[in-house]
Amino acid sequence: MQEVEIQVRNVMEKVFGISGLEMPADTSQKSFPRWDSLMHMNLILALEDELGIEFSDDEIASIVSLQELIKAVGIK
Amino acid sequence: MSIQSYDVKTTSVEVHRMPATLSDVIAGADRMELLLAAGSATYSICFIRNVTIEGIVPYLRYRFLEDGVLPLINYGGFGTLKQDLLDSGSPLNKAKNDLIVTALMIEELDPDFGFPQWTGTRTLEILKGFFADLEESEHPLIALNTLLLPNYTATGTGVSTDSNDTANEIDKLNNFIRGWANKRKDRFCLIDWSLISRRIGESSSMDYRYWYLSKSPFKREFLDQLALSIRTIMRSISGLTKKCLVLDCDNTLWAGIIGEDGLNGIKLDGHEYPGRIYYDFQKTILHLIECGVIVALCSKNNEKEVFDVLDNHPWCLLKRKHLSAHRINWLDKATNLDSLSRELNLDLKSFVFVDDNPRELSLVKQLLPEVTVLQVPNKLYQYPNLLVREALFDAIVVADEDKLRTQFYQADITRKNEEQKHAELKGYLTSLNQVAKIHIASDGEIARVAQLTQKTNQFNLTTRRYTDYEIRCLAEAATSCVYALTVEDRFGALGLVGVLIVKLQGDIVFVDSLLLSCRALGRELEVSFVLECIRDIHTKWEVSGWESEYIPTSKNSQVSGFWKSMGFDVISKSASSIRFRLDGRQPSLLPPPYIKISSD
Repeated sequence: MQEVEIQVRNVMEKVFGISGLEMPADTSQKSFPRWDSLMHMNLILALEDELGIEFSDDEIASIVSLQELIKAVGIK
Repeated sequence: MSIQSYDVKTTSVEVHRMPATLSDVIAGADRMELLLAAGSATYSICFIRNVTIEGIVPYLRYRFLEDGVLPLINYGGFGTLKQDLLDSGSPLNKAKNDLIVTALMIEELDPDFGFPQWTGTRTLEILKGFFADLEESEHPLIALNTLLLPNYTATGTGVSTDSNDTANEIDKLNNFIRGWANKRKDRFCLIDWSLISRRIGESSSMDYRYWYLSKSPFKREFLDQLALSIRTIMRSISGLTKKCLVLDCDNTLWAGIIGEDGLNGIKLDGHEYPGRIYYDFQKTILHLIECGVIVALCSKNNEKEVFDVLDNHPWCLLKRKHLSAHRINWLDKATNLDSLSRELNLDLKSFVFVDDNPRELSLVKQLLPEVTVLQVPNKLYQYPNLLVREALFDAIVVADEDKLRTQFYQADITRKNEEQKHAELKGYLTSLNQVAKIHIASDGEIARVAQLTQKTNQFNLTTRRYTDYEIRCLAEAATSCVYALTVEDRFGALGLVGVLIVKLQGDIVFVDSLLLSCRALGRELEVSFVLECIRDIHTKWEVSGWESEYIPTSKNSQVSGFWKSMGFDVISKSASSIRFRLDGRQPSLLPPPYIKISSD
């Protein structure tokens, strides 16, 4: 697993309170009901805090899956 | 209200720093929730809002769980204020909420806001209607937010000559909101958004990105400040507000050491550095005294030299008359604090101790962990705001009696001297010439009665906390009565010091609450109080018997045997409550002979 993916999963683990490593690779807002718009906001803010990055508003609105998140963090 | 068995877990409240990242705030709150004992206190909060306020959840959970309380949070719909209030099935009305919190942004109240020539007239009408609806509702406690002032002016740096200046208009609306809450202190309080944003600034308050993305306007610092304000309200209604401020003297009340520098050598001059810092700190103490906080000194000095400063230093604001007790000697501070707590009859949990010496503070922390300790900051310029910033003493209701509290305690010092003269307790009690007035609580006494239910921990049989509004409802209902006990003795008035609340359940009278202020303990007033209330109830209601209850907390063990001593028998017993019943109409107990009951 890439470093970026581990970082993202670590933050998701804390925000959702579940084991980040057990989350399937294709996890998305659709497949994971707890990932609602409020949790999405917390997740984005938590990733920004933790990794010292900033998402654009477009990114925030368009990211809906774990893979998209990893990709967006990877190019920061 | 489920807060009744409330107990602080963290005994030594220092300023808890929030973890640095949101993920750690969330994980920290989750961890604290897991550690929470089953049956811990909960506190339910409902936001009525026209913006997304859900971002506050991690902070609210973290701050409440620090106190060992689980917050239950729900929300009204977006901008459906009226419907939320009227619809019995809305989250607002479905369950009983301990606190309603408004979260209203001007942008969503009035679509015309932000256009040239905007005035607050329409918003004012909306707020008036909405607040009136809130007042009509049955919610016991409502926290109103003030509106945020604009951070820029449309007219640029020049002074606006336009009378409809936006900031000016919002100021007027905020004054209306503050005035509304102020006139209805029994049920309304404020969470002053505009003050918070002024304090922490636009860049820490406003999250414009999420405002435009999802109508979620605030950054973490602002949300944490809101959470802290809400916790202060919860603490104040749950008897967790601190009551007694204990101060060291040298380098705490003034700069320098009186024993070495002398009266003219210590620094306290309001025009000089660092004197002004200490002078300003003393000003904040005067404010606390006004609000009913008890002040005591605890220092290693020669007593005479300290009182020389209080009596004779031209810049010393704290005077002898402000003190309720003192320990100025060479004993260790923990011993002295412990003896102050016994003299003042106040739990050490309600103590805040300020000292400049980290060694003294760490000793106190070690030996008396329940005392909150604050150190004079190394960055001295932060000192004047130390006490207000912590909001430890914040109470949402200040009753008239609060302002007189120091006098009560000072009269108590004279009483204590008398007590030492009379070796035998009965002789002492007789010498007091106590006169008790036992009566239905009047309108003007409601605030004090509610406050006693919120603050009394030791002589409190059930520790049920009530707001002003709830007391008013109990007082007005046909099936309940709120009795008050006011006492005076030959040293002066003690004021309203006892509350007894009864409810009629069928033909049984149930004693819902019985409590006595700590300043009235040890005088057998409780016996006279209960006997007289029972006698009075029989003249009002046709009843066949009496039932009562003892709900144990960590602080009220001294009254566990009270109902038995009054002749009540145990009828059921569980870990959380013991129920009692009195066979017959009156206890077969004689009233204490040294308390005169006044009939007027």
